Amino acid sequence: MSKLLHVEDLNIEFHDHLIPETVVYDFDLDMEPGEIVGLVGESGSGKSMSALAVAGLLSRHDMKKRGVIEFEGKNILSCSRSELRELQGDEICMIFQEPLTSLNPVKKIGWQVEEGLKIHTDMSPEERKKRAIKALEDVEIEDAQRVYDSYPHELSGGMRQRVMIAAATIGNPKLLIADEPTTALDVTVQSQIVELMKKINREKKTAILFISHDLSLVSALCERVLVMKGGYVVESGSVKEIFESPKEEYTRKLIDAIPKCGSTEDLVENGEPLAGMKDINVSFIKRKGKNKEKVHVLKDISLDIYEGEILGLVGESGCGKSTLAKTLLGLIKPDTGHVSAKFPNTQMIFQDPYGSLNPSKTVGFIMEEPLRNLTDKTPEERYALSKEMIEKVGLSEEFLQRYPSELSGGQRQRVCIATALMLGPKLIIADEPVSALDVTIQAEVLKLMMKLHMEMGISFLFISHDLRVVHQMCDRIMVMKDGEIVESGDRVKIYENPSHPYTKELLKSAGLGPGGVK
Amino acid sequence: MKYVLKKLLSCIITLFIVSFLVFAAFALIPGDPALSKLGTNATQAALDAMRHKMGLDRPFLVRYFTWLFDAVRGNFGNSYSYSMPVASLILDKIPITLTLMVYSMILMVVISVPAGVYASYKEDTPVDRVIQIANQIVMAIPPFFSGILITLFFGIVLKLFTPGGFVSLNANPLKFLGFMFFPALAVALPKSAMVFNLLYTSLNGEKKKDYVRTAYSRGNRSKTVFFSHMLKNASIPTITFLGMAFADMIAGSIIIEQVFGIPGLGRILLTSIQNRDYPVVTGIIMLIAVTVIISNMIVDIIYKIVDPRVDA
Repeated sequence: MSKLLHVEDLNIEFHDHLIPETVVYDFDLDMEPGEIVGLVGESGSGKSMSALAVAGLLSRHDMKKRGVIEFEGKNILSCSRSELRELQGDEICMIFQEPLTSLNPVKKIGWQVEEGLKIHTDMSPEERKKRAIKALEDVEIEDAQRVYDSYPHELSGGMRQRVMIAAATIGNPKLLIADEPTTALDVTVQSQIVELMKKINREKKTAILFISHDLSLVSALCERVLVMKGGYVVESGSVKEIFESPKEEYTRKLIDAIPKCGSTEDLVENGEPLAGMKDINVSFIKRKGKNKEKVHVLKDISLDIYEGEILGLVGESGCGKSTLAKTLLGLIKPDTGHVSAKFPNTQMIFQDPYGSLNPSKTVGFIMEEPLRNLTDKTPEERYALSKEMIEKVGLSEEFLQRYPSELSGGQRQRVCIATALMLGPKLIIADEPVSALDVTIQAEVLKLMMKLHMEMGISFLFISHDLRVVHQMCDRIMVMKDGEIVESGDRVKIYENPSHPYTKELLKSAGLGPGGVK
Repeated sequence: MKYVLKKLLSCIITLFIVSFLVFAAFALIPGDPALSKLGTNATQAALDAMRHKMGLDRPFLVRYFTWLFDAVRGNFGNSYSYSMPVASLILDKIPITLTLMVYSMILMVVISVPAGVYASYKEDTPVDRVIQIANQIVMAIPPFFSGILITLFFGIVLKLFTPGGFVSLNANPLKFLGFMFFPALAVALPKSAMVFNLLYTSLNGEKKKDYVRTAYSRGNRSKTVFFSHMLKNASIPTITFLGMAFADMIAGSIIIEQVFGIPGLGRILLTSIQNRDYPVVTGIIMLIAVTVIISNMIVDIIYKIVDPRVDA
């Protein structure tokens, strides 16, 4: 059987600067029909660029491509736009990382799912609709008829990604390119999407090029893996080979970065709670037209955080984790109940390091802000303290002059942590502090938090949906579902012997569970 | 439909509040209509008699509610200086000013939308740059000045219309429309430059969005991506601006009516303010308020049609 895809010596250069910048060097890839290949690497490693080039979507005029990309013997790089269009959406389809923004917000789902058929076939509208509903059902959307008539904003992230998959597979493409399709999703949804892609591969014999920075997902789905770094393919081989005997230092680093369980020393709980809440109820009034709906977000929550511990709070998005954090900090006033946390002894780090720093202020200004507002320290003292803190989080003094836009995601989160340290807190509430970061950078930020915990004795309330990260970091764990704490206790107890069905489900979808590490 | 009714109700409440504020403002500002009607030489007795005759000696709230109930039935009182009902005075002029506004609105859309789409389609080409420069120039010229330039160029040099030679709608509808084209153009030009800019910027912004990449990945032509995916998304901010521009035009038309010698609402408004002819001024201000509120309501409704994310 002939090759489906043959890529040889692919080089991609950007020409928008004075000196051309090469982002992909000598990329080789061969795919057989029906094969699943994983492409792993950090952001900026060139994996998305290579994939976009294969899909014929790199058409910017400031970009130069050299090499061969043959799809069923046809050279994609020398194709005209109209020849390319024949393939795109018909033989080669793509799924993108952000299901929230990859769908057109003002078009109905049905219209978008059918679009490929409209372009590439001459089916009648009725026939197209039938196929679209079938495609939606194939991706396990139960209420396909209703979803067909919905708009993207009416669906959850996971549902939108299913819709994207339905739209990409409606014309039975020979090659499906999935560019980080699960990164923006909850961990339970992630495993469902991976299962779905396996099913499509099995039933429709679609070859899949699966791009991800998450080696554990790739290992669950793919047969073969290519590891990319700095534009080069540094290693390739079967999943088994790569995992068991990684040849490159970088591959080993990626494997080590998969959070593993059972690596923290247990810290003994001390008697006196540092902060806590008792019988907290929080509800919001949600207006929907005339009807006011009361949404009960937190239900009878009681918890204590002890000095010197890291308390993990896990649960899916929307379960009330962030509301709990904000209530503890005093940003939300509870309906009933009592909160005992003292500001400024309690500080918070937020999920999105891109959005939570004011882009028009320097890092130094942002860091000194709490001191300016709450203390009467002189400018020199303020500067000295921010210098000390920025060095504590592993950045140098010169970062104080920079603007947030000049920093990477990991550096920004370090700045957020340094800012939280400025007032000498005893407790830091970290709300999904690493979810927006690459996996290797995640590991570094987690290491930093661990270091601060050990050296400065800071307690953490660590909020996350990633059970592996929580297991690595925390002493005690609380599991939250729909505004209630369904289970809490010692880390080992929860991971070895979960009692609540929801905890079991969470552990299972994270590839964990009784028995420990996968 | 329920959405429209709800909007309508909130509009009526807004109008009620506006009417009170307008009426109160004219009761509070210094200046005596009786005095300006009789002249400064009038005796105190004559002034008192005139005030009584005009109903100015009654308490403020009584006057307001009398006026409000009359106004709801279409009676805005009598003009002090023209000695005729305000309603018929305004009604005569509405077709003229409204034509000017609608005309400008149409011109605005006809000029700016194709230019914006075309320039964005040809982004970073010489054509785009030429349009950009022209746009900067047009935007910088205020309507009264472009009015003068238009009069000079189309009226005196090309002799396409007679400056100052206003033809009324009843006399010759075709000539009326022909004449009105030029003042409408003067009102529309600077505003179309702004609409152009807004549309151009938001179209270029849409180009970088993820869903556009998705559309290309399905094998769409560039043109299809542009018209069937991006244009609707990019038009959302533009619609808001068009609504505001329409409301703003009624003010702009006051100046243009002076420049082109059009006997519209603007001219009566100016003379009535000078004469302290409060019934006329209140009437016209209420009319402006109604226009603004209705155009906002229409924008809200169009918004809802274009953008499904807008909550009812």
